Amino acid sequence: MILHILNRPPSSSLAYRDALAAMAGNDRLLLIEDGVMGALTSQVRHFQEIEGRLFALREDLSARGLEGQCDASVLVVDVDGFVSLTEEADKTVSWF
Amino acid sequence: MRYALLVEGAPYSSQASHSALRFATTLVARGHQLVSVFFYHDGVYNAARLAAPPQDEPHLYDAWRSLHAEHGTELQVCIAAALRRGLLDEREAERHGKSGHSVEPPFELTGLGQLIDLGQGVDRLVTFAP
Repeated sequence: MILHILNRPPSSSLAYRDALAAMAGNDRLLLIEDGVMGALTSQVRHFQEIEGRLFALREDLSARGLEGQCDASVLVVDVDGFVSLTEEADKTVSWF
Repeated sequence: MRYALLVEGAPYSSQASHSALRFATTLVARGHQLVSVFFYHDGVYNAARLAAPPQDEPHLYDAWRSLHAEHGTELQVCIAAALRRGLLDEREAERHGKSGHSVEPPFELTGLGQLIDLGQGVDRLVTFAP
């Protein structure tokens, strides 16, 4: 299993398409930095195909005042959970 | 587990350096070993020894140094990316006839080969880009 890390929002970058295209069936995607905007209910449709495997970083949501607007389908983790995700993955790939 | 981080974003320009540092402190707190942080592209500016940010902002340079002091983390800087941006250690400054140097230990100028070695020698390599 590969952990994909995306720091761009779907509204301003198509990097998410490359990430999704590269993902295998059990890979996970973590949204960080401005990428957490993709976790909002208004944008999460872009990640429909990986529901249950989409994560967002709590600290970056909070820093942008967005924690309350994060879609219920997204798994929110803190930085400790970020490290834990990298432990569980065989390797990580960053998209930017 | 043995970790290494690749930092490609300049300090105070993008969030990359802050994200990497936050990840670094958390992973050592979880008992992992952070073998090295490798600075590449604009990330090499993290090694500027004269960095003097306002006192109420995070001091990234000092934070990287603390990682080295407390956990033995190597701070490796891509020499090709550094030299063209004016980041030279004493040896390179002398070699290029410059009157001062801008990089000093624990940061070390090194080649991309070291990054390849790192990628093969650690369990996880995580990239933080701008």
